[in-house]
Amino acid sequence: MHPAEYPCAKGGGKMGDEQARDGKPFDPMDPWRGMRDAYLDVWAKTMVEAVNSEAYAQASGAILDSYLTASSPFREAVEKTMLKVLEQLSMPSRADFVSLAERMTNVEMRLDDMDAKLDSILQRVSKTAPAERMKPPSAPRQRNRTAKAAPKKKGAR
Amino acid sequence: MAGAPVLTDPYTLAVNRLKTLSKVMTTRAAIAQTPKEVVWTLNKAKLYRYVPVVPKEKRHRTPLLLVFALMNRPYILDLRPGHSFVEYMVKNGYDVYLLDWGVPGPEDKNLKFDDYTLEYMPRAIRKLKAVSGSEEFSLLGWCIGAILATIYAALRGGDDLRNLILLTAPLDFSNKESLTFARWVDERYFDVDKVLGAFGNMPGEMIDYGAKALKPVENYIGSYVKLWENLGDPRIVEAWHAMNTWVTDNVPLAGGAFRQLIVDLYRNDKLMSGEFVIRGEHVDLNRIRANLLTVIAESDHITPPCQSEPIMSKVSSRDKELFRVNGGHIGIMAGSGASKHTWPHVNGWLGARSK
Repeated sequence: MHPAEYPCAKGGGKMGDEQARDGKPFDPMDPWRGMRDAYLDVWAKTMVEAVNSEAYAQASGAILDSYLTASSPFREAVEKTMLKVLEQLSMPSRADFVSLAERMTNVEMRLDDMDAKLDSILQRVSKTAPAERMKPPSAPRQRNRTAKAAPKKKGAR
Repeated sequence: MAGAPVLTDPYTLAVNRLKTLSKVMTTRAAIAQTPKEVVWTLNKAKLYRYVPVVPKEKRHRTPLLLVFALMNRPYILDLRPGHSFVEYMVKNGYDVYLLDWGVPGPEDKNLKFDDYTLEYMPRAIRKLKAVSGSEEFSLLGWCIGAILATIYAALRGGDDLRNLILLTAPLDFSNKESLTFARWVDERYFDVDKVLGAFGNMPGEMIDYGAKALKPVENYIGSYVKLWENLGDPRIVEAWHAMNTWVTDNVPLAGGAFRQLIVDLYRNDKLMSGEFVIRGEHVDLNRIRANLLTVIAESDHITPPCQSEPIMSKVSSRDKELFRVNGGHIGIMAGSGASKHTWPHVNGWLGARSK
């Protein structure tokens, strides 16, 4: 929808008592507005038919094609010159930035894959953890001596 | 106050009108005001989650993902407070997510429907599930977003895709006589490779021109005439300003996706005929089993009803409905009548299927 679709009051051309009953003052521009709207309606219908024709499609295609053909040598020349200038200045070109951006997107995808795997692991852990807690206590475990902190060596900080 | 200007004098009124006109023509309206947070990003795409306003126990269980077109800003779904579909759905107890495709740059010129439907959407949906804690979700696609939603539903929409809503979906391109765009992009007149060779992506301005040229007098003249006549009505001016902000905020369409849209869809109607191939997989619409609501705008000049109707007989969904609304392509969701017709119907249909 374009803003054109919003409601708009149209003039009626009423005068005298009729106008007083409406509470609207007489506007001498109302008849002109009516004519203008009628003209716009006719013009709009004509234009819709025109743009819907084969001739319009052909003409617009030809205009676009000639623009692209005409601008192509200039565009290529500017691109080549710009590339040389940037090379001379040891500055990255558009192609370099494009390549970097593509690599960034690939890195983002890898990160997203890792995020998905991490989510999946966390989900499994959170599902199994309550089950572990619900298990009845088994035989007392032996104390794991190796887990104890080794005595500090002399000179160790 | 003595000496103060009389507000009704013609000079002051004219100055005020010109000031209002200048403001709405040169500034951006405050749009997309519903509070949201970014929960996922990839390249230019972002997934937003709108902050729920309904307590969790009263909310619908199935989250809703909104997917809009690639070449327009998605904030048309959240245009302005009191006139926002997103705000309406959030207030009605939905956990709403919006996938914003962003603005493609030169590095994205090769992005195709394949990438959007098999790389971006599945990842965003995975995140949606992780954030919402729900294994099921509903998907709403509008315009080109409806094409993406349909392709996703056919290729990856398993049991987790519960509800599919397609708004003004351009899916069937067989009726060339009814499609002005199809005539314009006919291979005899329009060289898609030459255009993309020059620009990389399809420029937003050219897409905007194409959309407006379908109704040139209304869009280039009538719109401004009506604004001029209603400059004294703040309600209409505010609505016009917000819509104009959206209409003039154009986004280019990634070259690869544009080529597919023109060659595979507009010229060869591959989606409906089952010949559309995405990364080696045929898009078989018969594989869509989700509950389906197709919304058609009766006066749509961009996507005529004949483009959206045929999907109803192609899908396997047992629960499906075709809903017709009086209005235009955008007007059915963002126009003054949307909150009375389209939104309540979508809410009622989805609410019954989101428990």
